[in-house]
Amino acid sequence: MGDLKYDLIIIGGGPAGLTAAIYGGRAKLRTLVINKGTVGGLVNTTREIVNYPGYAQISGPDLMKDFKKHADSFGVEFSRDEVVSVNFSQEDKIICTKKRKEYMAKAVIIACGSEPRLLNIPGEKRLQGSGVAYCATCDAEFFEGEDVVVVGSGDQAIEEGMYITKFARKVTVIVLHDEGVLDCNKVSAERAFQNEKMEFVWNSTLEEVLGESNVEGVKIKNLKTGRSSELACQGVFFFVGMIPSTHFLKESGIGMDSRGYIPANDLMKTDLEGVYAVGDNRVKYLRQVVSAAGDGATAAVAAERYIEELNAFNTSVLKNDKQVLLLFFNALNNESLEFSTLIEEANQELSEPYKVVKIDTATKKNLAQKYDVKIVPSVVVLDRGQEIKRLDYSMDKEKLKAQLR
Amino acid sequence: MSLEQLNAIKFEEIIYDNLESCLVIFSRKDCHVCKEVVPLLEELQPNYLGKFGFYYVDVEEDKNLYQRFSLKGVPQILFFKEGEYQAKLVGAVDEDKVIDKIDEVLES
Repeated sequence: MGDLKYDLIIIGGGPAGLTAAIYGGRAKLRTLVINKGTVGGLVNTTREIVNYPGYAQISGPDLMKDFKKHADSFGVEFSRDEVVSVNFSQEDKIICTKKRKEYMAKAVIIACGSEPRLLNIPGEKRLQGSGVAYCATCDAEFFEGEDVVVVGSGDQAIEEGMYITKFARKVTVIVLHDEGVLDCNKVSAERAFQNEKMEFVWNSTLEEVLGESNVEGVKIKNLKTGRSSELACQGVFFFVGMIPSTHFLKESGIGMDSRGYIPANDLMKTDLEGVYAVGDNRVKYLRQVVSAAGDGATAAVAAERYIEELNAFNTSVLKNDKQVLLLFFNALNNESLEFSTLIEEANQELSEPYKVVKIDTATKKNLAQKYDVKIVPSVVVLDRGQEIKRLDYSMDKEKLKAQLR
Repeated sequence: MSLEQLNAIKFEEIIYDNLESCLVIFSRKDCHVCKEVVPLLEELQPNYLGKFGFYYVDVEEDKNLYQRFSLKGVPQILFFKEGEYQAKLVGAVDEDKVIDKIDEVLES
């Protein structure tokens, strides 16, 4: 099992995961990226990226190939596999995959991105691949000369819709908002309005996809009038947003909001020690390649420092020849600070039989938990990592010394 | 092991002349979902050597084949037995679904 132990495991190989991998590899961490499909994630579905600094124009797959190559150059390992369950309750995090491998890591970065949201309307699932589609690059060509409906008005919906007009006779976009209002960027909106093959149905949503073995039409509901109408078409493309692919974490105890996004702080730390969330997996303002990359860098550096502290603790405490006084304090608690000074004095006066290691419970919650420390100050006496006793709290130096002899 | 690619002539030969029990994935190079499904088939293929065939059709190179089955998207895995179309799997399928479907087709 030794070869399945890593310093850093990154779940997901999109821009956030690959950037984290570059930083992890460069920091000489033994780094593994577990990614289920082609490396690059959802960026692979983007034909044209014009807002990644340094690249005036590049395709999604090409940009991701560059990211991957960069990560390779730092010795990062890759595994094409899918994570099915995790156990983050111990210091060594355990990750189980579909190929029945059990990996261990000191730190984990969750970067598994998101997947298209389904509307879950009648006919949507049944007619997948028979007219219902989610990827224009993949499927637009199958609708040559036919009528296509696009649902949604974000960047993806409008840009993909325009791409479909290259093949289809007509593209009808179903928009939730009032006439003239699209969720996409202004440049794309203008282009779409000028496109002769694009038509818009406002204030509306899709109720049902109609058809026996192939899509024959859709039922559209007008949200203002409440009335339904039918429109004949051969294809329906859904671009109604994304949901994070974090379902495999449900049992892990990690904090998530109702939609599956993971709250993380400015260090990308989640509420679990040593576990970070980045890119499309976390609650955030902007979801772009550049911001995902930024997240990945931050998380990898935070993870590196966390691992460093972990290793330092292991060598200074668990492998020390001397017995160790693990002193838990809290900077906001004066009593615990005074006590810590007193302990150091007592230890010195006895010509230092112990090594004193101070732990701030405010930042080292996992250690407080590990040693079951609930109040400060507390002192745990360790001999080669094994707890041999706990000191009784006293501000009387002689009483303390007596306990240390 | 990569999947053997079929053109229209080869397709005819394997499915309808040799009556082979097999699956055919209809795919294209720039489809990201296909890139997830194809490697999965490549890994499964050796387990079925001599029992069940695994083939690949590129819809850009062989348009007439997907038109014949009136497919409206990729990836789609079509299953054949004794010269007859049996079933299909659409989109991002996982290993288990493919294995189940192969068993189903072999047992039918």
